[in-house]
Amino acid sequence: MAPDEKNTVATGGWAEQGKIPGLKSELLEINMGPQHPATHGVLRLLIKTDGEIVYEVVPYIGYLHRCAEKIAEGCDYRQWVVYTDRFDYLAPMNCNFAYVVAVENMLPELEVPERAEHIRIICAELQRIASHLIALGTFGLDMGAWTPLLYCFREREVILNIFERLCGGRMLYNYMTIGGVRFDLPDGFAEEVLDFIDMFEHKKIDDYNTLLSYNKIFIERTADVGLISLAVAHAYGCTGPVLRGSGLPWDCRRNDPYSIYERFEFDIPYGMGEMGTVGDSWDRYMVRVREMRESCRIVRQALASMSSGPVIDPNLKKVLRVPAGSRYTRTESAKGELGHFIIADGGTKPFRIKVRSPSYSNLHVIQKIGPGLMVSDLVATVGSLDIVLGEIDR
Amino acid sequence: MEQAAIYQLLVERLGDTAGLAWHEEGPQSFATVAAEQIQAVARFLREEPRLDFDLLMCLSGIDWDGYDENGKGKSVDILGYREDGIPETSDRVAEGDLGVAYHLYSYQHEHQFALQLRVRRGKPIVTTVSDIWPTAEWHEREAFDLLGIQFSGHPDLRRILLEDSWVGHPLRKNYQMPGQWQEVPLKGQPYSKNPFKPEQDSVADDSGDSGNSGEG
Repeated sequence: MAPDEKNTVATGGWAEQGKIPGLKSELLEINMGPQHPATHGVLRLLIKTDGEIVYEVVPYIGYLHRCAEKIAEGCDYRQWVVYTDRFDYLAPMNCNFAYVVAVENMLPELEVPERAEHIRIICAELQRIASHLIALGTFGLDMGAWTPLLYCFREREVILNIFERLCGGRMLYNYMTIGGVRFDLPDGFAEEVLDFIDMFEHKKIDDYNTLLSYNKIFIERTADVGLISLAVAHAYGCTGPVLRGSGLPWDCRRNDPYSIYERFEFDIPYGMGEMGTVGDSWDRYMVRVREMRESCRIVRQALASMSSGPVIDPNLKKVLRVPAGSRYTRTESAKGELGHFIIADGGTKPFRIKVRSPSYSNLHVIQKIGPGLMVSDLVATVGSLDIVLGEIDR
Repeated sequence: MEQAAIYQLLVERLGDTAGLAWHEEGPQSFATVAAEQIQAVARFLREEPRLDFDLLMCLSGIDWDGYDENGKGKSVDILGYREDGIPETSDRVAEGDLGVAYHLYSYQHEHQFALQLRVRRGKPIVTTVSDIWPTAEWHEREAFDLLGIQFSGHPDLRRILLEDSWVGHPLRKNYQMPGQWQEVPLKGQPYSKNPFKPEQDSVADDSGDSGNSGEG
């Protein structure tokens, strides 16, 4: 930020007070985090405040850094799938999906079976719902609403149970693999998912809207708070619900389709400034609520069009060698654009993998929009960005 | 616009001065550019209305150690390291380049472009693009942190993921993990075959000076 811009933030604040003789006033430095429930993980925000007004925000990250990109250079391509689980630990299916699609794009002869593609999309969309439920619940919690959190976790639990029956894992799945998925669906999977989707789409989302979305206190806390204009969103690389909340109906699944997303019909919700201004915290929140409905639509279509057959490419080699070259592949995870830049050298291990995680860029923007907010509004803004520190620190 | 057409536009505008080259092999084509010209190329890509690259999707640092510019592997004999993970300087190790890859997207025109550059390991200085795309600020800090690429003109070039006092850059191919950091041992204890008899191991460890000496 330019120095002159800084000075305009807190006009009438400490700078003015300093002119009164005998009255001393200065900026207060406080740490928000790293152990703080409203930072959604181990994030430290060093905040300079002028009373209640935030003057400067400096995020400190890296508390969860494992250098997974270095680990990748010592792993077989398949072995690294399990590390992608640990990036966005609230949406591991999406992370698995992003990585396997990235590797498959570099293997021209590999063909993912139709059934596997459908299973992947069902899992990814259910996972998106689960991730958005956490975003909703914890955002409500940040705003002082306890009850919606319990409701959201209750529905998320159903999804976790479905996944547990599918692959044995509740939180971290390691389910998708290069060339397909590891296991076929268990008996009765489709009925179970349909039951959940019916119940969820027609009843539960309305419950959240009644409890939280259109609650007057909630709207007062989030509307017109933490505005991200479209220009800022582009400049800071914001993607996913943050970008859509700023009013651009852009979705990787539609605009740069991967897997078989181009076959499905769904709408892209975007922020319209219904409660305040386009790009405020409420818009970002509401995009997530509406996206859950769209995910339900996609799951329904995928279940209907699923055929029987193998779930993994039968011609897949035991030792996977990726031809030399580099490629950047992006997918739409629950948080935004999750991309993998893979450089292969023709061997069995990747030469370099860079993970472009959506939360990384989505958090960066807090440096830009944070100054000038009230401290409590900063909490609302961080909550509305829906960051996960696992994929920021990697 | 196709990537090749974008490249042609770049060549027309910037000519031979930018050291441009086009690489079509591999799963994704990309252009290479001379490191000192990245600012001019990036500004053109951002500001030209026909291109309008408003999103820097990804900025990655790369250690090309062991690979020349044609992608052919060279065997690199790493001679050794100092205690703090910095490699012993030798001509062979110093040959390996560091690189930066830029992946761009335009929301308006819905086209992508990939750009790469290389810098010498001995003097890894690249001009920042964070004034063109602010999101590059953190990506460049990450490349500095993990690969030691210096970005000149960067507003706040500090380590981002690792602690400020960390020595070395982990994503360099010849990085060696230090044995300990701030008296915290970083290397694991040797695996004990009988986990139910830990007393002997712990006695052996306590007697030694270093926590990761490996006896026991």
